[in-house]
Amino acid sequence: MNNIVLPSEKTPEITSTDETSLLVIILDSNPSQKTLRDNPHVLTQCVDSVIALANSHLMQKAQNKLAIMACHSKTSQFIYPGPEKPLDVRQIDGQYEAFTIVEKTTKHNLAKLLLSENSTVITESLLAGAIAMALCYIARIQRTKPPGAKLNSRILVVTGSGSSASQYMNYMNVFFTAQKQNVVIDVCALDQHLSLLQQGCDITNGLYLKVPQLQGLLQYLLWVFLPEPPVREKLVLPPPVKVDYRAACFCHRELIDTGYVCSVCLSIFCKFSPICTTCHTVFKVPAPLTVKPKKKKIKI
Amino acid sequence: MEDDPKEYRWETGYEKTWEAIKEDDEGFLEASVADIIQRAKRKRQALKHGNQKLGMMRHLYILLDCSDSMSSQDLKPTRLLCTLKLMELFIEEFFDQNPISQIGIIIMHNKRAEKISDLAGNARKHIKHIGSLNRTSLIGEPSLQNGLEAALSSLKLLPSHASREILVIIGSLTTCDPGNIYTTIDSLKQEGVRCSVIGLAAEVHVCRKIANQTGGVYNVILDDSHFKDLLFQHVDPPPAAMCLESSLIKMGFPHQINNEGSEEPLTMCMCHVDSMDESSSKLTTGGYYCPQCFSKYCELPVECRACGLTLVSAPHLARSYHHLFPAVNYNEVNFENQTSYCFACQKNFGESDKQVYACPSCKKIFCIDCDIFVHETLHTCPGCATNLATFQISH
Repeated sequence: MNNIVLPSEKTPEITSTDETSLLVIILDSNPSQKTLRDNPHVLTQCVDSVIALANSHLMQKAQNKLAIMACHSKTSQFIYPGPEKPLDVRQIDGQYEAFTIVEKTTKHNLAKLLLSENSTVITESLLAGAIAMALCYIARIQRTKPPGAKLNSRILVVTGSGSSASQYMNYMNVFFTAQKQNVVIDVCALDQHLSLLQQGCDITNGLYLKVPQLQGLLQYLLWVFLPEPPVREKLVLPPPVKVDYRAACFCHRELIDTGYVCSVCLSIFCKFSPICTTCHTVFKVPAPLTVKPKKKKIKI
Repeated sequence: MEDDPKEYRWETGYEKTWEAIKEDDEGFLEASVADIIQRAKRKRQALKHGNQKLGMMRHLYILLDCSDSMSSQDLKPTRLLCTLKLMELFIEEFFDQNPISQIGIIIMHNKRAEKISDLAGNARKHIKHIGSLNRTSLIGEPSLQNGLEAALSSLKLLPSHASREILVIIGSLTTCDPGNIYTTIDSLKQEGVRCSVIGLAAEVHVCRKIANQTGGVYNVILDDSHFKDLLFQHVDPPPAAMCLESSLIKMGFPHQINNEGSEEPLTMCMCHVDSMDESSSKLTTGGYYCPQCFSKYCELPVECRACGLTLVSAPHLARSYHHLFPAVNYNEVNFENQTSYCFACQKNFGESDKQVYACPSCKKIFCIDCDIFVHETLHTCPGCATNLATFQISH
C-alpha cells in the first residue's frame, strides 16, 4: 500500500481549501434571437442546462460561488442571487436546498423579466454591458472577501445572438479589464460564430466553443465549461482556434494588412487621405506627392 | 498647486487632512482615510473629458537620479529601492494603458548621464534593466543638464507626430552642470519636449523652472504612497503639444498565415534571432509575420527590424481608445432611497451610504466603489452599455 502515490499531492494549487471559485453565467435570454424565434422551447432547454451546470459548479466545492445574469437588448439583470431576499425553501425529494434555491430563483426572476419585456424585435443583445456588470460584481466580491482568501473568478457567456461591430469599444474595454483582473471569459455560442467574443476569449485565456448540436448543450457545458481553468490544461478540450486580429478600416470596414493610422485619434484607414474623417484633423501631406503634380500642370 | 509658481506646497490646503478625519462609531480612522483617498480620485477623474487632442504616441525618457542622495533612507528601505519598485509598477501600467508608446531610461550619477535602456516598447526589457539598477553604486552629484541633453539628442530624431516627454525623478537638491542649463531648457521648449519633474526631497527652483517652461508638472512627494500617486499621474497621455503635427502613420496588422492541411514550418523570430540565451532562441511554429517583408515576430507591438514598419494588432489600438472616449462622469447625489441596490455590483445600500452616484445619460445609480472602478479601470458605464437606447450616446 505504501508505494501508491496519491495524485492529489502533486496538485495542491487546485485542491487548496481556502480558494473560492466564482462563476458568473451570462445567459442571453433575448426572445428575438434567431434560435428562440424559430423554436421558443429552446429557451427552456437552455435554462435547464445552465441551471444543471450551475448546480454542478456548486457541488464541486462547498466554497464555490455562483451568479447568473440574464442579458437582453434593453437591460441586463442579475437573476441569481436576485435583488430580493432568498426564497425560503424546504427540502424536496431529498435535493440539497441550495440547488432548489438556484433553480427556483432563476426561473422566477427570469419569468418576471421576460414578462416585463415588450414585444419589439431587436435581435442584438448587449453582451458587453452584461460583462461590464459582471466585472463590477466580481470586483465587489473581490473587495469584500475575507483577507487571505483567494478568489478565482470566471464569466461564462451563453448566447445565440450575433455580434455586431457597434459594441466594439465596449467589448474591448471589458476584455482588457477582465485580463487585468485575472477574470477568464468563456463563451458558448449556440447559433452563430462570434468573432469579437472569440478575441475576448483569446485575450483572457478563456475557451470559445460554438456548439455543433443544440440538443447536446448540457453535455458541452459540463465537459468543456465546468472544469476550472487550472484543470483544463490536463484535459483534451477543443483546440484553440487561431484568432484573426486584423483591423477593419474605418472607411470601408474591410480587413486590412497594412493601413494608415491617424496620430491624433488612432482611426484606421486603408488609403492615405488628407483629412481624418473621425476627428477632422488635417494631415501633413508628404511633400513629394504635392509638389510634383503642381509643377507639371504649370508647364503644360 | 503646480500652476501657480508663487504658492509653495506647505502653503496649500491639501495637507489639512486632519480636519477631515473623523473617527467612526468604533473609533477607527480607516474608513475616513479611505474616504479622503476616494474623493481625491474622483476629483482627478472629474478633470478628464473626451474630445481633447491627446499625444497618443508617446516617447518618454525617464531620467533617474542615481546620485549619492538616493541612498538616503527617508523612503524605506532606501530612496533608490523604493523608486525602482515603483518604477516597475509604473512601466507595466504605462504599457498597459499606452500600448503603442515607447520608454527609455537614463540614469544620472557622478555628474554623468548614462543611457541604460533605449527607447523601446517592450515592458519586460525595461523592467529587467530597472531590476539590475539596485546594484549600481550611488556616487557623486547628478547633472540635470547632461541628463536632459542626452534625452533631447535622441528625442530630436523622432518624427514630428510623436509626443516627446521627459520625466525626471530627482532626489538631490543640487545639480552639477557643465554649462548654462537655461539654454538647454530653451532648446527643450523649442523641440516641444514636455518635461515633468518629481522631487523626492524638497522644492528646487531650477526643477520648477524646467517644468513650467516646457509645460510639464512639478511635484514634490510627501511619502511613498504619495510618490506612487504622483508617478501614476504620468500614465495618462498628456494633452497634445501645440507644435505636435498630425499625420497618418503607416502600420502593419500581422495575422497568422494559415495554410490548410500543411504544418507550419519551424522558424526563428526576429526578436530573438541574436539572443544568446538557450531557452529563448528556439525554433518555433506560429508567430506574427510582417505583411511587408514577412519577418517573423513572437510578440506585438513591435517595429519591424527589417523594413521599419510598425506592427500592431487591432486590440492594441482599441486599448488606447478609452483615453479619447472616456466614460461620462457620474453626478454625486444624496441617497434618498432612489433604489435599494447598486446597479452594477448589486451591493445593497445601507445607512453608511450617504452619497450615491448617478450616470447622467442612463440615470442608473451606482455606489462609490463602482464609480471609481468604472472610471479607473473599466471605462464603460455598465448602465449605458446594457441599454440599446443609451449605449451609443455615451461615446
